[in-house]
Amino acid sequence: MSEVPRASAGTNPASPWDAAAAAFTRWRDGDDEGLNDLVRLLSPVLWQVVRATGLDRERAEDVVQTTWISLVDHADSITSPQGISAWLCTSARREAWRAGRLANRERPVEDELLAHGLPDSESPEHQVLLNDEAQLVRECLDRLPERCQKLLRIVAAGPRPNYTDVAKTLGMPVGSIGPTRGRCLDKLRQELTLAGGLP
Amino acid sequence: MNETTGAPRSDEELLDAVAKLWERLDPPPDDLADGVLARLAAQDLEYELLTLVESDEALAGVRSTTMLRAPDETGTWSLEYLGPGFRVQLRISRRGRQARLDGWVSPPQPMTVMLSSVLRKGGVLEAQVSDSGRFEFPVAPAGACRMTFVTESGGRPQATPPFWI
Repeated sequence: MSEVPRASAGTNPASPWDAAAAAFTRWRDGDDEGLNDLVRLLSPVLWQVVRATGLDRERAEDVVQTTWISLVDHADSITSPQGISAWLCTSARREAWRAGRLANRERPVEDELLAHGLPDSESPEHQVLLNDEAQLVRECLDRLPERCQKLLRIVAAGPRPNYTDVAKTLGMPVGSIGPTRGRCLDKLRQELTLAGGLP
Repeated sequence: MNETTGAPRSDEELLDAVAKLWERLDPPPDDLADGVLARLAAQDLEYELLTLVESDEALAGVRSTTMLRAPDETGTWSLEYLGPGFRVQLRISRRGRQARLDGWVSPPQPMTVMLSSVLRKGGVLEAQVSDSGRFEFPVAPAGACRMTFVTESGGRPQATPPFWI
């Protein structure tokens, strides 16, 4: 399981993004273990970022690997260790669009419409047992419009992505992402309240 | 998080809850990171890494081979690396900002040796291993360097990990 602790960047010294920055710095200073640590820490995060774009599991794994290779090739160009998580997630997201476009060309249209961003049969989600809170969040998310579900999954994965990336993934104007994100979150909050799970 | 205070959850808290849910619903394959590391290893190995087996520090004080030396340090130190089928001894002599590097390959075999600075890309010095196994770089760059050995029979080049001159 990917139990990377989540925290808002900058507010918690133990955030995975800080740990990633430290590992990246160690690697650049010549410690190969730094790269290993970075890979173990952020691969599960990249997985979520890539899967949120709607890519299937097999292609997602390939995209995660390609992202790390491009990090090794471009490590010189990353000026701030603090930016490493964002850099990786942005690269992963872009690589995922590219792979997604290629995949769509290989796939019949109706499959394409059904496949994007929806749970697929190969993923183990149907067998997962959730605790009460997660189950509640899941039921409430299910009641949101599909577009909201996709958007919330994308913006929730990794360090909060910039709106340009989200807009590109969903084919929406950049200016509408902020308000749409807000509306989707409001709907989720409303559903949670109705379900009695929140004060 | 706010069950006790009764305050509505913030956007960030809701997004964290969504992220957590997806981590549970759609976990990565167990071997995701191992696959990445294996792929990186396959990718990275344009050369095979030699192993540092010995380092003799003739400078004052205890120093690490990976440690930055003062720009005006004077002294001689040696490093020994082990590769597949051969051993390399290096002796680095430094006087102020001038450094020289002498090396011995045993058993002797024809090889091209390249000395490059890790941080300053571009400048690569070349030397040939003599019949007796000797090679030299009368003027060596300072800072983190790496030495690469290419045999005449081809095959993957052998490289040292970075070391400081």
